[in-house]
Amino acid sequence: MTRSMTAVKLPVKNDLGFFEIRLESIGGLGANVAGKILTEAAIIGMGLNGAGFASYGSEKKGTPVKSFIRLCEADHQVRINSPIEEPHVLAIFHEALAKSVPVTAGAVPGKTTVILNTRKTPQEARDFLKLEGGKVGVVDAMEIAMATGSRVNMVMMGAIAKAAGFFDWKVLEDAVREAFGKKYAALMKGNLEALKRGHDEVKMEDIPADGKYPATPFRREEPKLGYENAPMGGTIYEVGNMRFKDLSTSRTGVIPLLLLDKCTRCGECDITCPDYCFVWERGKDPKTGKDGMVLLGIDYQYCKGCLRCTHICKFGALVPAKEAEQDMEAITVKQKALK
Amino acid sequence: MPETAKKRAARPAQEVVVQSGNEIAAMAAKHVNYHIMGYYPITPSTEIAETLDAMKAEGEHTIRMIPGDGEHGAAGICYGATTAGGRVFNATSANGLLFAFEQLPVQSGTRFPMVFNIVTRSVSGPLDIRGDHSDIMLAMNTGWIVLMASDVQAVYDMNIMAPRIGEEMSVRLPVMVAFDGFFTSHQKRRVEIFSDMQVVQDFLGPFVPTVTTVDPRKPVTIGPYMNDPDLINNKKQQSDAIIRSHAVIRKVFAEFEALSGRRYDFLDLYRMEDAEAALFIVNSAAETAKEAVDALRKQGKKVGLIRPNVIRPFPLEEIRQALRKVKGLVVADRQDNFGAYGGAMTLEIKAALQGEKDNKTMVASRIYGIGGKEFFVEDAEAMLREALEIAETKKVKVPYDYFGVNPGEKGFTPAVAFAPITEKESSGITRVEVSPEGKMEVRGINVRALTERPKRLAPGHGACPGCGIFVNLNQFLKGIEGFVTVLFHTGCGMVVTTGYPYTSHKVTYIHNLFQNGAATLSGVVEMFEERKKRGEIPKEEKITFLMVTGDGGHDIGMGPSIGAAMRGHRMIIIEYDNQGYQNTGSQLSFTVPMGHSTSTSNYGPYQHGKSTHHKDTAQIFSACNIPYVFTAAENNHRDMIRKAAKAQKYAEEGLVFGKLISMCPLAWRTEERISVPIIQAAVDSCFFPLYEIERGITTINYDPEEKGKKIPVADWLKQMGKTRHLLKTECKPDLETIQTEVDRRWARLKEMHKNPLL
Repeated sequence: MTRSMTAVKLPVKNDLGFFEIRLESIGGLGANVAGKILTEAAIIGMGLNGAGFASYGSEKKGTPVKSFIRLCEADHQVRINSPIEEPHVLAIFHEALAKSVPVTAGAVPGKTTVILNTRKTPQEARDFLKLEGGKVGVVDAMEIAMATGSRVNMVMMGAIAKAAGFFDWKVLEDAVREAFGKKYAALMKGNLEALKRGHDEVKMEDIPADGKYPATPFRREEPKLGYENAPMGGTIYEVGNMRFKDLSTSRTGVIPLLLLDKCTRCGECDITCPDYCFVWERGKDPKTGKDGMVLLGIDYQYCKGCLRCTHICKFGALVPAKEAEQDMEAITVKQKALK
Repeated sequence: MPETAKKRAARPAQEVVVQSGNEIAAMAAKHVNYHIMGYYPITPSTEIAETLDAMKAEGEHTIRMIPGDGEHGAAGICYGATTAGGRVFNATSANGLLFAFEQLPVQSGTRFPMVFNIVTRSVSGPLDIRGDHSDIMLAMNTGWIVLMASDVQAVYDMNIMAPRIGEEMSVRLPVMVAFDGFFTSHQKRRVEIFSDMQVVQDFLGPFVPTVTTVDPRKPVTIGPYMNDPDLINNKKQQSDAIIRSHAVIRKVFAEFEALSGRRYDFLDLYRMEDAEAALFIVNSAAETAKEAVDALRKQGKKVGLIRPNVIRPFPLEEIRQALRKVKGLVVADRQDNFGAYGGAMTLEIKAALQGEKDNKTMVASRIYGIGGKEFFVEDAEAMLREALEIAETKKVKVPYDYFGVNPGEKGFTPAVAFAPITEKESSGITRVEVSPEGKMEVRGINVRALTERPKRLAPGHGACPGCGIFVNLNQFLKGIEGFVTVLFHTGCGMVVTTGYPYTSHKVTYIHNLFQNGAATLSGVVEMFEERKKRGEIPKEEKITFLMVTGDGGHDIGMGPSIGAAMRGHRMIIIEYDNQGYQNTGSQLSFTVPMGHSTSTSNYGPYQHGKSTHHKDTAQIFSACNIPYVFTAAENNHRDMIRKAAKAQKYAEEGLVFGKLISMCPLAWRTEERISVPIIQAAVDSCFFPLYEIERGITTINYDPEEKGKKIPVADWLKQMGKTRHLLKTECKPDLETIQTEVDRRWARLKEMHKNPLL
C-alpha cells in the first residue's frame, strides 16, 4: 500500500484521543468491508493507530449492522473496546433503517457530520432523520453505484473521506485496490470511480440546531423484560410475536407488485414465499363467483424483496417494481388474523 | 549507537499488519507451521480455520486441515495427531469447548502437548453467541496451561510462545490461548508480526516427540487402564508438571521479549505501585478499564488494575505481592460459579490471599458482561469506585452481586400476537387413505385450498431474503394435520425464528444444541406417551412431533438421530439440506458435494473446493430400516406435501426421515429469485433424486431420464457462484469425478426402484 509522506494529524479528537466513525447499514451492503478498508488505509497507509470492528450476529443478509472505525495518532494506544457512542462521522448506508433503528443516536451538532445515502436534499434529510442539527451530507450512493457498476460502500467511503478531511486520497485508492485487486480486477475501474464520485458529489450543509428537533443522545438499550419480570428459563409465552417486527428495512429498492386482475388464485405464490407475505381469505372468487380461498394482497411489512414470487407466477400477476415509485401504505394489505 | 537502539537493530525484522484476533491466530498458526489442525466451526472462533483454509488454497502453507464431525471428534483428531508425533492446533468456543470437554483431561493426563485457541463465548442455555468467560472458566481445571490474550497483538505473541511452553520436556502439557469472542476475535488492530516465519521456526525448534504411535520399532502402550493405587501418582506427576511450567513460562516470556521487544509477565499491573483500591479483570475489558483508572487517577484517587496473562498455573505469589498494599479489591468476573458466591477469579484470588498472613485486602465479586453485554469505561469507573469505598470504609457492603443487570419495566406486559392454533383449524384439508394392501394415497393436495391451513410459523422471522428453509418448512407443514410440536436444532432455521423476547413459532417449540436434538425429542415423545398411559394427558390426544435440522446438524448430531431411529420413536426428522454451515458463514458440511467452494473448502490454485463426495443421509436412515424415508424439493411441491402427509401417517409406526434440498442464495452465490430453476436442475441432473422408501421398498417419484429431462451435472453447477469454477479447464477432472459419482448413485437407486428386495 502507498504510504503517506508525512505523519497524518487528526483534525479533532475526543477526550480519549480518538477520531471516530460509525457506519449504520444492513448486512449485504458492504459496510463491514468499508470499515476494514478505511481502518487499513489509516493504519498502514497513513501511519495512524486504531481499530476497526462491527456489531456481529449470525451471518444474515438484510439485518441491521454497525461498523466502527476508531483512529488515533501513532503514539497513542487503543485500549477501549466498547462501541462508538458519539462519532465524528456518522454514515447511514441504508435510508430505510431510520424507521426501525435509532441510527442517529449520539449525533452531536458541531461535532458529528451525518452522511445519508439518499436522493433527498440535506434539509430534507435533516427532517427525515429528525436531526437536532449539525453538518449533514447527502449522496445518492445507490444511483452512483449502479452507474459505475460498483457498490454502495465505495460511494459512501468517498463521502466519509471527504467528511473526515484527513484521508490521503492516494492511500485510500490503494487500499481499495489491495482489498479487491486480485479477485475483482475487472471491477476496479468502477470501484475507484464510485469512490471518487462519492467524494465529489456528496452535498454538505451546515444546519443550525434551531430547536426543531430534540437532541438524540446515545443510550444503552435496556430490555423491558428483566430479572424481576421475565419468565424463568427464557420461555416465551407470546407465540408468533415476531409478527410485530418490521422487515421492510431488509429490502434494497425492489418489491413484487400484485396485479389482481391477472391473478388466478392458483396459490403458487404462497408456496414459494419464504416470508409468508400473501394474505388469503375465504370468500367468493371474483371470476367464478364460487366459494373458496381468495388472494387479497401482500403484507409488505414482511416482504424482503427477494422476488421469488415474480419468478414463479405463470400468469404475470406478480411483477418486479421499484419501491420508491410505489405508495407502499396504499398497496399493503394487512393480514386480518393479525390485526 | 545507544544501547536500546542497538538491541532493537539486533532483533529480527517485523512488519505492521491490520488484522483481527482470529486472523492473527491463523497467521501465528501458519508461522508455527503446525502439522495438523483438527477443528469444527463454531462462532466466534470459526474464522481461524476459514483464514487458514483460504491461505491454503493460495498455497501459503501446507497445514493439514481436518474438519471433525463435531468438536468432540475434532478433539479426538487432535489427540490422535499429537500421539503420532507432530505439532497440532485447534480452535473453538463455548459449547464447542464443552462438547470437547471429555477429551481435555485425556490430552493433558496422557501428556501430549498441543495448542488450543479458545475464542471465549457464553455457554448455551439459552443460546448466546457473544463473548463472556463462561467457557474458559469451566475448562481451566482440566490440566491445560491457560494463557489469556487481552488484545490482538497478544493473540499473535501467545500463539508463538504457547508451543514452546507446552513442549518443554519438564512440562509436556497442552496449552490453551484464550481471547475474547468478538471483542478481540473480530476487532481489527495494528499488529506487529515477524516478517520471516523462519524466526518463529528457530524460536520453537523442531518438535521433539517423547513417544509416538507411529514408530513400530519402539512399540508403546498409550493410555492404559489405570485404577488405584496408580492414578493418584499419575495426577501428582501432572500437578508437578503444571507447577513447573510457571518457571518455564517466565523463561519463555523473557526469551520472547528479547526476540520481539514485547514484554509479558504473569500479571499486567497497571498503576498499582501505590494503589489502595483495585480492579481485577480479565482480557479485553481490562484494556477498556485502564481508561477508567486514568480518569480516577486524574482526580487523585489511588486506584489500579490487575489483569492476568496466565491463569493456569495460577499466579499465586504474584497476586499476593500485587495486593500487599491494596485495601479494597473488586474482582470482575464475566461468568458465574453459580452458588459459590463469586465468579471463578474471585474464588481463586480469595484462596490465594488465604496463604498471606498479614494481608488485609477486602474483596467484592461482581458478575458483569454476561452474554457479551457491552462494557464501557463508565462501568469500570463504577467498579473502581466500589473498590475505593471498600478501601475507605474497610467494609464490603455487598460481597457478591451482578453488575449492569436490569429488573425490567414495572407493569410491562408483552403483547399477545396470536391465539393458539386449534386442532380444528389445522385439520380436515388433507387425508391419507390406506388400501387393504397397506398402500397409502394422499387426498386433498390443492395449494389454493391449503392456504387456509394456519401457518405454524408467523411472518417476521429474520431469514435472509429468498431463504429456502422457510419455503421448505411451509410446504412440508401444509401436509401436516392437527397439533404439532417442533424441535429445531441449532442452525439458520433456529437462529432466525427466535431472538428473545421474540419467536416466530406459533406452535410449541423447543431448541436443543445440534449434538442432541433427536435424543431430546425422543424424551419428549416418550414422556407424552407415558403420561397418556398414566392418565395425566387424555388418551385420545394427538400431537405430531417434528424435528427440524440442517445438514450441519446432521454432522455433529448424526449419532443421536441414528439412535432415535433405532429406538423407533414416533416422530419425524426433516433435514433442510442447504449444503453447509450457513449460519456461521458457510463452512463445509459433509453433505457439501465434491468441488463446491465453502469458507473451509476454498477454491484456489492449490485446492479445488471440497475434496470428498457428499454424505447421503437418506441412505444412512434407510439402513436403519425405519418405516419411511423420503427426499423432496420445493420445485415439486405436490410431491413434498404428499410426502409430509405420509410421513405423519408413518410416524404412527416409528421414526420418519425426510431430506429437503434447500436454497441458500447467500452461500450458493445465486440470485434470490431464481431458486426454483436451480433446485430443478439439482433434481434433473439426478444429483438430488426425488424418491421414497416405504418399509424398505424404494420408489423413484420423478425420473428425469424417463421424461427426457436429464441434464449433465455441469448444467446445475454452472448456475451457482460456489461451483462455477468447476467448469474451468483446470477443474475438468474434478467435474468428471462428480458426474461419475452422481451417475453411480443414480444407477444404484434405479436398481433399488426396480427390485423391492434392494
